[in-house]
Amino acid sequence: MNAALGTAGVALALSAAVLGMVTLAVGLRRGDPRLLSAGQRYVWLILGGAVLSVVAMEAAFIGHDFALKYVADNGSRETPMLYTISGMWSALEGSILLWSLILAGYLAVMVRHFRARAGDHLVAWATLTGFAVAAFFFGLMAGPANPFKVISGIVPADGQGPNPLLQNHPLVAFHPPILYLGFVGFTIPFAFAIAALVTGRVGEGWLVETRRWTLFAWGFLTVGIVLGAWWSYEVLGWGGYWAWDPVENASFLPWLTGTAYIHSVMVQERRGMLRVWNLSLLVSTFALTILGTFLTRSGVLDSVHAFSESNIGPALLGFFALVVGVSIGLIGWRGDRLRSPGAIDSPLSREGAFLANNVAFGAFAFVVLLGTVFPLIAEAINGDRLSVGAPYFDTMTAPVGFTLLFLMAVAPALPWRKASGELLHRRLLWPAWAATGVVVVCVAAGLRGLAPLAAFALGAFAAAAAIRQLVLSARAARRQGSPAWRGLLGRANGGMVVHIGVVVIAVAFAASHSYGQRHEFRLDPGQTAHLGGHSITYLGTTTVQHANKKTLSARVRVDGGQVYEPALQQFPFASQAIGSPSVRVGILDDVYLTLVAAPEGNTAAAVVGINVQPLIAWLWIGGGLMGFGTFLAAWPGRRRRPTQPSSAPAVASGEPSVTPVADEAPVAVGPHA
Amino acid sequence: MPDARTGAARPARSHLWAWALMALVLVGALAIGRGDPGPPSDAQRAHDIATEIRCPTCRGLSAADSDAPSSQAIRDEILRRVQAGQTDGEIRAYLVSRYTVDILLNPERHGVAVLVWALPIVAGIAALGALILAFRRWRASPGVAVSAGDQALVDEALRR
Repeated sequence: MNAALGTAGVALALSAAVLGMVTLAVGLRRGDPRLLSAGQRYVWLILGGAVLSVVAMEAAFIGHDFALKYVADNGSRETPMLYTISGMWSALEGSILLWSLILAGYLAVMVRHFRARAGDHLVAWATLTGFAVAAFFFGLMAGPANPFKVISGIVPADGQGPNPLLQNHPLVAFHPPILYLGFVGFTIPFAFAIAALVTGRVGEGWLVETRRWTLFAWGFLTVGIVLGAWWSYEVLGWGGYWAWDPVENASFLPWLTGTAYIHSVMVQERRGMLRVWNLSLLVSTFALTILGTFLTRSGVLDSVHAFSESNIGPALLGFFALVVGVSIGLIGWRGDRLRSPGAIDSPLSREGAFLANNVAFGAFAFVVLLGTVFPLIAEAINGDRLSVGAPYFDTMTAPVGFTLLFLMAVAPALPWRKASGELLHRRLLWPAWAATGVVVVCVAAGLRGLAPLAAFALGAFAAAAAIRQLVLSARAARRQGSPAWRGLLGRANGGMVVHIGVVVIAVAFAASHSYGQRHEFRLDPGQTAHLGGHSITYLGTTTVQHANKKTLSARVRVDGGQVYEPALQQFPFASQAIGSPSVRVGILDDVYLTLVAAPEGNTAAAVVGINVQPLIAWLWIGGGLMGFGTFLAAWPGRRRRPTQPSSAPAVASGEPSVTPVADEAPVAVGPHA
Repeated sequence: MPDARTGAARPARSHLWAWALMALVLVGALAIGRGDPGPPSDAQRAHDIATEIRCPTCRGLSAADSDAPSSQAIRDEILRRVQAGQTDGEIRAYLVSRYTVDILLNPERHGVAVLVWALPIVAGIAALGALILAFRRWRASPGVAVSAGDQALVDEALRR
């Protein structure tokens, strides 16, 4: 029953996507607005199909319908409800299902948002592109990644449950959907970019239309990545939060290009320049979400030798190639309209800083991509098997990270067009003194090491520059008779809040990287170990038999206060016990406890791993600040909405079409405006 | 923002002094803050080597970060060899011969692996070069001719 409903849902969504594409294509060809409108309404069938399949899948999980292979593999009668529900996205096929649901949701919101302009060819082409992406993902589920496969033969009485690591922390229920809201969200600006290229309306209109969609996706991607790091810290038990693992890199890559895009797009909105570059960044961001899914889901990188083991790989790789090929082709075809007349006067200007930012983010993305796929490249060249791990990424990305911190400090102080020395002096002197002051205080407090001190200095510099900007903006709001908090709203100010979040993360990263201490202690019951100014007393062990697992926890008292219980958990279908850490979270430092080796008896010694790392909690706080800042940046504020259609109609002469962009400053839109 | 236009092209002398003083304080603090690491202890050296060795049985972790028995064995072996006076290179060479070259998380700087180090540097230089060329071209571009009437309008708007 569930299998039939789910399969029907996939079939419904797939055929609706294809029919919608055909209807839109015919409508575009005939220029018939009624057909365009009808074609866009297919989105509701796509959404209906997606919801039907997800409901069927969840019903199968909750009702323990082990006739479904996916449920038998990832659910069990003993799994708690939260992990039963999250079981849907704990393996490949269900992840594609979640992806498709979110995509259908985004497309439905998009169609509804633009319903008054359903006859506009730009919107129609964007919808068509969105439907094509949806058709691909529902096609995956109809073919190689079918989540509704039925077990042939006897239906098992119980399932295996999710991977043990995916059922011992509640973050597993939130991190994947939020991350996917980010990944999938880039489909909308991508669809509009393709539509702008196809219709030739490559002016700034489509950028303005998709600005909030991009921010929305970017914000969720950011929060999703931070939650992933948090999950990894709380669950994996090695005390770190970022291992440069291919899966992490795959989520980080679109973030890097997406971040470059939301900066450089401001140059285009303001000056009408960098059109090809912005289109390329946006297309890369979308393509990298597909490539990331390919790299991590096809098994190419998990084990370098299992290229042919998975059958979803070729489809994803083919789709990636299609996206890249079509985009490059369209950009080449529209090359004449994409040329922009403007010029950047001076490298010492806001737009110059954005260019430098783009070079840095581009380099960052290149290093991460190269390091991630290099094992494949090397093996292809001469059969060498080699690893590229954290030391490589740390070495190569550190200089880029420092550059970005520096740019974050200087760029907000730079005016558009050209800066004078006097102006820089006035705007940067106090932030720079703040940086110097922080270094002096840190050194006086006994902190040593060039890299962390440099990170703190640049962090303080950037934070002071951002705070200066916010204070000025709040004062300006007061002068206009609004409450000061209005000064936090809008893109520039919300962006500064995001910058502060980045600084908080950078400082926490540098501190935990440089000043962390770890040691393993063999402790008898009652014995106390000391590390990093903390005392850790081992009290004894407790064994608890849960429905889905057996937990052996060590009771450990930290600093004579609360007792923490790092544990080893034995799941029935897992060969090895899974360590689950316990963390004393603090504002200044975290004490991270793991049970490395269980004692032979209750009076014997246990090996307890202790990891004291400063400022870890600030990584998550910084992530929250970044999300909050994105929210502020997307806030409508007092910006006027453009009342004109997004882009001027295509002009036959091949002249680039230019529409004035509604912005807070109507001056200096660009020499051509 | 009148300052953007009326500011002097060259910073005043007192400004330079302010920045020079700050640079002095910063460099001084960093010189003290750099600390004197001295020769690393055996344990420190062993740990540094272990961070660049892959845990053979787990995915994506270094031997320094992992609790796995195989990593413990590698850490013990490294420490034993450090104490026996072997160089970092000798210890790495031993581990490569004992396992395979993919035990090294930090790719070697010869053979095919040199590409993974060199390509980003080449690409970075190329990007910077392209940027410099672009600025040259922009500088050479004639810009927009401004009529006296337009200029008057702009001046008027700025005065307000």
